[in-house]
Amino acid sequence: MMCGRAIISRAAPLLACLGLLGVWQIGALILNTDSFPTAWEAIRAIPSIVGDKESLINILASLRRMAIGFGVGVIVSIPLGLMMGRSRGVASFFNPLLMVIYPVPKAALMPIIMLWLGIGDVAKTLVIFLGVSLPVIYHSFQGAKAVEEKMLWSGAAMGLSAAERMIRIVLPAALPEILTGCRTGLVLALITMVTSEMIARQSGAGNILFNALDMGQYETVYAMIIIIGGMGIGLDAAFENLRGRLVRWSEPGFEIPVSFA
Amino acid sequence: MNLRAVTIDVLLGIVPIAVLIALWQALVSFGYAPATLLPPPGPVFMRLVQQLFTDTFQEEILATLFRLFAGFSIAVIFGVTIGLLAAASPAFNAVVRPIVRVLAPLPKVALYPALLLLLGFNHQSKIMLVAADALFPILLSTYYGASMVEQKLIWSAMAAGTPRGQILLKVVLPAAVPSILTGCRIGLVISCIVVFLAEMITSTDGLGHVLVTAARTFQAIDMFVPLITISLLGLILNGLLEGLRSYLLRGFPEV
Repeated sequence: MMCGRAIISRAAPLLACLGLLGVWQIGALILNTDSFPTAWEAIRAIPSIVGDKESLINILASLRRMAIGFGVGVIVSIPLGLMMGRSRGVASFFNPLLMVIYPVPKAALMPIIMLWLGIGDVAKTLVIFLGVSLPVIYHSFQGAKAVEEKMLWSGAAMGLSAAERMIRIVLPAALPEILTGCRTGLVLALITMVTSEMIARQSGAGNILFNALDMGQYETVYAMIIIIGGMGIGLDAAFENLRGRLVRWSEPGFEIPVSFA
Repeated sequence: MNLRAVTIDVLLGIVPIAVLIALWQALVSFGYAPATLLPPPGPVFMRLVQQLFTDTFQEEILATLFRLFAGFSIAVIFGVTIGLLAAASPAFNAVVRPIVRVLAPLPKVALYPALLLLLGFNHQSKIMLVAADALFPILLSTYYGASMVEQKLIWSAMAAGTPRGQILLKVVLPAAVPSILTGCRIGLVISCIVVFLAEMITSTDGLGHVLVTAARTFQAIDMFVPLITISLLGLILNGLLEGLRSYLLRGFPEV
């Protein structure tokens, strides 16, 4: 009985996917317009996109930019967030700046950054970096702030230097929260990737999507939506898996990421 | 926290912003960036103030605000309702949870072309996109807030003879308010970002459209103005929400 239940709860997201595709299929059949193909037609268009060498290179280039932007963003943001969480001065130094930057859509900086850096990889990666940084900084900040003082005191009493305390006490203690931030950052990186490519129409997954929209190739539009959505769900699941291994000792707070734009 | 500490905090906080603006000015003054690509901060802020008093720019702001609030309100209504129901009913939860799990990490911007094709180029598609993006943080934090409500409170209400439906409204909802407001805050920031993006993609008015028009005509000054405006709008709305929070939570212990 327990086994059956476990299988059902494992398969639930898959069932949900199938259910949503089913709703789409029925909705499309009822509406029956050109601009809204059925789910089946959209799925059938996927192999022709993935099979096409140029689109595949485009999509892989997008993923590469995303990986670089995400990686650099995480490496820069975690130390900054941790320092903000442990030192009041650093926190009040950076907080207002971050508050001002937060509501600005990072992809909207694209036209300005493009003027300086051109429409190449650098501009897009920079925008992804900016998008990823904020949630990671924020969550690392929250995580480091919640570290129990007593542990730090014991660490100091046992002769750990400030830097050692940061790495051996604050970092592990804040890890669950940091990983929550990284998960949000991952979804965000994907979103920023799509939007930046949509604004600088040169290459990438977002470019294929919006070019197809402009040219009225509706099957391609929906197929790309499925591909990008699948990437989001797949990356998220992979990250969740990793997170489960790294911080098995902590119970998950938000088990579903909160996506930002 | 005394007044002096607060003053020091504020002063410290101004420093990086001031440094950023000074750096911006320096880049232009020392000729590292031509003024056509990076206009100096002075003229940009002058232009912002000047624009804020023109009718056309005010109309753009109003268009953006309308979409933002419409989408955000839809997200709040659905997010809070679904979140509460999911916390209250295991059957509903079993259905909703996997769907949310699939939809939450989906990049909603990728859905925008579909929304455009289905709902047209008017307000609806943008409002829907804002609602879709702001929905999940609000839904999730409502759910977590509602499922963390102390069981004793519910038992007391049941013992006092409150009907089940009433318990949800009178006990669970108020107890979940702090968490809901946290979700709303994230949702609000997201709404600001998304409404701007949607307007950049296809629009005939709104702040995002102002930016795109300026970019197409290489009016660097006019590109900065809508960006600063949306940042200010975000700050103001955040401040208002903060005010609402401290009013609603006046009885709660400090969180």
